[in-house]
Amino acid sequence: MKTIGCLFLFAIVATVPAAELWVGGATVDITPDQPVGLDGMRGIRVSTKAATPLTATALALESRDGHKSLDAAIIVSCDIIAIRAGIQDKVREKLKGRLSGFDLKKIFLCATHTHSAPVTEDGKYALPETGVMKPSVYADFMTSRIADAIAESWQNRKPGKAGWGQGHAVIAQNRRAVYADGTAKMYGATNDPKFRCIEGYEDHNVDVLFFWNQQDQLIATAINLPCPSQEVGGNAIHADFWYPVYNTLRERHGKSLFILPWTGAGGDVVSRLMYGKAADERMRKLRGNISRIDELARRIVNAWEDAYEGARNDIRADVVLRHCVKEIELPMRQVTDAEVAEARKEAAKYAKDPAQRWNYGWNQRVVDRYEAQKAGTEEPFKMELHVLRVGDVAIATNPFELYTDYGVQMKARSPAIQTFVIQLACSSGGYLASERAVRGGGYGAVIQSNRVGPEGGQVLVDRTVEAMKELWEQPVTTKRPASKKSRK
Amino acid sequence: MKTILALIIAVLTLSSTQAAELWVGSATADITPDRPVPLTGNTTVRVAREIHSRLFASVLALESRDGGRATDHAILVSCDLCVIRPGIQEGFRKHLAGKLPGFDLNKLFLAATHTHAAPVLLQERYDEKDYGDGMQPKEYVPWLYERMADAVVKAWENRAKGAVAWGLGHAVAGHNRRVVYSDGKAKMHGNTNDPMFRGVEGYENHGVHVLCFYDSQKRLQAAAIAMSTTAQAAGGGNKVSANFWHDARRLIRERHGADVCVLGFCAPAGDQTPRAQVNKKAEERMLKLRGLNYDQEIGRRVAAAFDDIAGVIAKDIRTDVPFVHRVRQIELPARIITEAEYAVARKVCEEIDTRTTRAKNDAWRRHFFGLVVERYLAQQKGGWKMYPMELHVMRLGDVAIATNPFELFVDYGVQIEARSPAVQTFQIQLATSGPKPAYYVPTPRAVAGGSLTENAFDNYSATAASSLVGPEGAQTLVNQTVETIKELWRVPTK
Repeated sequence: MKTIGCLFLFAIVATVPAAELWVGGATVDITPDQPVGLDGMRGIRVSTKAATPLTATALALESRDGHKSLDAAIIVSCDIIAIRAGIQDKVREKLKGRLSGFDLKKIFLCATHTHSAPVTEDGKYALPETGVMKPSVYADFMTSRIADAIAESWQNRKPGKAGWGQGHAVIAQNRRAVYADGTAKMYGATNDPKFRCIEGYEDHNVDVLFFWNQQDQLIATAINLPCPSQEVGGNAIHADFWYPVYNTLRERHGKSLFILPWTGAGGDVVSRLMYGKAADERMRKLRGNISRIDELARRIVNAWEDAYEGARNDIRADVVLRHCVKEIELPMRQVTDAEVAEARKEAAKYAKDPAQRWNYGWNQRVVDRYEAQKAGTEEPFKMELHVLRVGDVAIATNPFELYTDYGVQMKARSPAIQTFVIQLACSSGGYLASERAVRGGGYGAVIQSNRVGPEGGQVLVDRTVEAMKELWEQPVTTKRPASKKSRK
Repeated sequence: MKTILALIIAVLTLSSTQAAELWVGSATADITPDRPVPLTGNTTVRVAREIHSRLFASVLALESRDGGRATDHAILVSCDLCVIRPGIQEGFRKHLAGKLPGFDLNKLFLAATHTHAAPVLLQERYDEKDYGDGMQPKEYVPWLYERMADAVVKAWENRAKGAVAWGLGHAVAGHNRRVVYSDGKAKMHGNTNDPMFRGVEGYENHGVHVLCFYDSQKRLQAAAIAMSTTAQAAGGGNKVSANFWHDARRLIRERHGADVCVLGFCAPAGDQTPRAQVNKKAEERMLKLRGLNYDQEIGRRVAAAFDDIAGVIAKDIRTDVPFVHRVRQIELPARIITEAEYAVARKVCEEIDTRTTRAKNDAWRRHFFGLVVERYLAQQKGGWKMYPMELHVMRLGDVAIATNPFELFVDYGVQIEARSPAVQTFQIQLATSGPKPAYYVPTPRAVAGGSLTENAFDNYSATAASSLVGPEGAQTLVNQTVETIKELWRVPTK
C-alpha cells in the first residue's frame, strides 16, 4: 500500500513542473526630513519631530521552473495611514523599465494605518504655506523611495524557503459601544448604565509568513494582524506599535530581517481599550512602567514566536505561488434623503472655515454622491483585488477599513489553511461597515464614512472567496512532500 | 435619605471589618470515582469506564483578621464538574454543619469548571436505566460531599497568615460559539464555511484574571484563575476528564511548585467555549506541529498567561488588604413563556409521553421541554415570575469577586467589568446552586436569533427552553452586582 502511495507521489512529481521559490526583500526609510502635516485626524497637525523612523519594506516573491518564471508578486508594507488615490500608480510609473520581466500590476502597497505619518494628498488639510513639506512633495519622495525598495527586493531575490504559522495576541479591541436604545458609538463610554455590549467580534489570530534563504537563515517575515496601528497620538512622526516590534524581532532574529506588517480586516477595531484600563495600566507599571505600544509589541512578538516555533517544523522549499490581480466593482452605498439633508447642513456650516476643511469635504462628498445618484451618473466603486496563494496560505487584499465581520467571513469560507486578509491595500476606500454597524450608526458606519456599504461588502467577500477558490482548484505544483526540519 | 442611611450603615459595618491581616488556607480533593460512572453534559448519558484525567475540587479559605479578631471570611471551591445542580450546594452545606467552627456556611460557595466529562449529579437527570453498572448519582453525591468536606475542613484548619497579589493577562482560549446567518438566525457551533454566514454573534473576552496567594514566606500556595471559557476544549468522549484544566494545572505546578492549589473558575461565558468557529484548519495544523491535543494546547495557553502574570505581580504582594464578603439572596425577573413557546413544548412532551419506545435522548428532551410547560402553567397562575439566586460579592484588595449561577453570556460580564469600580473584577459563573436550575442567560441579540422549535438545538442557548432568565433579568443581575460591588468600594480602606 505504501508503495502505491509512493508511486502516486511520483506521478504528481513527474507530471507537474517543480516550483522553486525565490525571495527578495528591501527596507527603505520614508521619514520626511522636514515638518509635515500628519494624516488621520479631523484637525490639522504639523509634525514637531520624528520620534521613530517610518519605513517601507518590500517583499519580492517569484516561483520558477528552472529559468522560467511561473508567477511573481511584490508586496510593500508602508508605515503610513493609507495608500491614498494615485500613490500606487505613481510607484508603478517610477518602476517602468526597471524590473525586467515583471508585470507591474503584480505589485501592491499596503499601509499600517499609523496616524502619525505624513499627509500625501494636497488640499486635504489647510496646512501652513511655509515651513511644512507639501503633501505632494512628500508623496513624490515617498514613492521614489518605495520604488527603490521594490527594485532592490526584485534584484536581490534568491532561491529560498517558506513557512507559515499562527499565534494569538489580544491587540484588537472593538471600539464600538452599543447602548440600550440600539445606537452605537465609536469609543463610547462603557461604564454607563445604558451600555449593553461591544458591537462586534475581535479577531485575535496573528497569521505569520516566514521566509528563509538556502542557508536556513530567516530573511523575511510578514505579520497579518487584524488591527490598525493607531495607538500613538500627538504631533510626532511615529511608526506606532510596529516600531518596537521591528526592533525586538531584529534584535532576536537578525538586524537585516525584513518585516512586513500587514493589517488585517479591522475597520471597527483599534488597540485602545474600551474597558479594563486601570488593570492594564497597573500591569504595565509592574512590568517596569512600559508604554502601551511596548506592551502591544510584547504581545505581537510573543505571538510571532509562538507561530515561529510551529512553523520551523514545516519549512518548505517548493511552495506554490500564484497571484491573480482583478479589477472588480462594488455597488456604492446609497445616500438617503435624510442623510443628504444632514450632510448638506453640515457642509454649509464648515464651507468657509479653512480649519474645517476635513469636515467640509467629509459632508460635501455625500452631497456630491447624492446628486450623481439622482442624475444616474454614479459609478460603482472600482477596486483592484490581489489574491495570492503561497503554499497553503491565501492572501487577499482590499482598500478599505474593512469591518472584522467581513474578514472573518473570508477566512471562514477560504479553502486555505491560513488566510491573510490585508486591508488598506492598493488604494483608500474608507470604512466598509457591517450591517449591524450601519444599524447602530455612529462614526465609521454613517453615510459620510462609507462609500461602500454592507451590500458591497458582501460582494467583496464573495468575489474574494471565489478568487481564492479558483487558485485552489488549479493543480498543485509541489515537487516533494513537506520537509520536516528539526528545531534549532 | 435612604441612601445616606445605607451609606452610614455600610461605613459603620465595613469600618469594623477592614482587614489588617489576610489568612489563607487551601486544599485539594480528588473527586474522581474509581469505577464506571455516568457522565453529564450531553443529551444522552455516557458511562465512563476510563479516566482521561482526574477530577479535583480545589478549596481556598480566606479570613480577614484585625488585631487577632476575625472580621470576615470565605471558602471558595472550584470543582471539575459540569454544573452545581439544584440542591447540591445546600446539601453540601448541610453535610458540613458542625465541621467548621466559627465559619458561616453561607459564606462558602461551589463553582463548576463545566467539564462535560464529569459525573451526573442528579439521579433524575437521565433515564436511570442508562446509568447501567455505573456509580449512580445518588451514590456519587454523598461520596463527593465526603471528599470535598475533608478538603474544606483541611483548608479552613490550615489557614495561616498569608499574602495576596492579583493581575490580568490574556489567553485566546474561549471563542464565541454562536454563528449568525443572513436570515438573522443564529446557531451554536454553526457552519461558518457557508455563503449565508455573516458574522460571529458577539464579542469575545480573552482576559485571564489571576489571584495568587502566598504563605508567610511569600511562597506561592494557591492560585485562582478566572477566564471566560468553559472547560470544553476536547469534545465528546466517554472518559472522565477535567478537560484543559488538567493540563493547565499540571504546567503551573511544574513551573511554580508541585503543591500549588490551582482553582480554575469560569467567568461569564454562556456563549464562549474553547472551540474555534472560524479557524479550525490552522488550529489543527498548529496542534500537529506542536504535537499536542486541544486540551493540552488550551492548557498551554492558560499556563503561559499565568506565567506572564505571576512573575510580574510577585512585585506587588500585599499582606494587609481589605477583605469583605457579602452574600445576598436576590430575585431576578424570570423569562416569561409565551403561548407559542408553550404550544411547541407541550407538543414535544405529548409526543414523548405517548411513545412506547423511548429514544436515548428522550429523557433529556422531556426535561428540556417539560420545564417550559411547567413554567408556563405556573406563570399563568402568578407563579415563577421571579428567579431567586444567591449572589456572592467580595472585595479583596483592589479586586472585586462576583458570582452568578448561570451560563451568563459574555456581554453581561463585560458590562459588570466595565462598570465596576475595582481595578480588576474577577467573575465566576456556574457558582452556587439554588432550588431551580440556572441554565443560560442570553443577550437580546441572541434571543433575536430564533424562537423555540421542536428541535432543541434551533438557537440553542438563547430560546425560552434554554433560559429561565432572559435579558430583562440579566440586566437586573448586572445592576445588582455592580451596585453591591460599589457598596464595598464606598468605604475608605485602611
